[in-house]
Amino acid sequence: MISAKDTFYLVLRNRIAALNPARTMGLRGVTRPGVLVEENELATAEALPDVFRLRWTAVKLDTQGSMPLATMTCEIRYATAGNAGNGGMDRGRVLAQMDAELRAALSTTPQHAPKQRYTANSTQPTAMATNIFWSDAVFGATATDAERLERTATVQVYSYEEAGE
Amino acid sequence: MADLVQPTPAAMRTADALLRFAGGRSVLLRTPSPAIPGDPSEQLGLATPSFQDIELAPAVLRGQMLLLSASAVETIMGTLASNSANVLFADAFGVLIDGALYEIESVETSQTFGIPYLYRLTLRAPAAQTL
Repeated sequence: MISAKDTFYLVLRNRIAALNPARTMGLRGVTRPGVLVEENELATAEALPDVFRLRWTAVKLDTQGSMPLATMTCEIRYATAGNAGNGGMDRGRVLAQMDAELRAALSTTPQHAPKQRYTANSTQPTAMATNIFWSDAVFGATATDAERLERTATVQVYSYEEAGE
Repeated sequence: MADLVQPTPAAMRTADALLRFAGGRSVLLRTPSPAIPGDPSEQLGLATPSFQDIELAPAVLRGQMLLLSASAVETIMGTLASNSANVLFADAFGVLIDGALYEIESVETSQTFGIPYLYRLTLRAPAAQTL
């Protein structure tokens, strides 16, 4: 399952970066696309605004077929206080822009990608035999936290478990 | 008059002078090293960062309370490209004082006109010293 999670993150990160190259964040001294996986970062990175934060939650395994099918729930959380130059009064528009970016990144065809195996000591991933695929995003209600608007979108990511996974 | 227009540098200088007068010393903030640009390993949780110790001075230790110069904190925030002092302290693994690593329990700030001139860190002594 970890290969599916890694593959999905990198596909989404690269699509967001292509859609909006300006969506970046500074994290530990490096500027990178504004998409992160919470469980892979220091805990404080979770609070960053104007970035997409992926949180893996539920996992279901269907063992009826010839290969086990894993269904993983990925919550994509994001928040914004708008632009400081506008006094934050554009926070609704900024949130809507993030909604549109995420919808475009996830709904653009193909909604699948070859599964890749990433290892610590290898610079290039290894292509695996199957694809991962995912649903459209389901957008939750807007929440308000002081000056911030927040939303959580949920995506189901599917992956066949290969031998050795 | 300049101090009335720009009160914060004056407050910072005053705080620094008081810290030095009260026996100001240096401490080391242990933080994760900067990430490696273009390397997805850390983003995937495959690699963990190494650590670096950064000197902070002047500082005064009173019991479990460490008083820190805001000007020193501001300087290292620029060096580490950190967005805020809260993030810097939250990311830090602790403060190294005389060879012992103290965990940071909480951070409070003294401010003038919304800009910090002093940080107060509550530290927890390493386990070996609390026994």
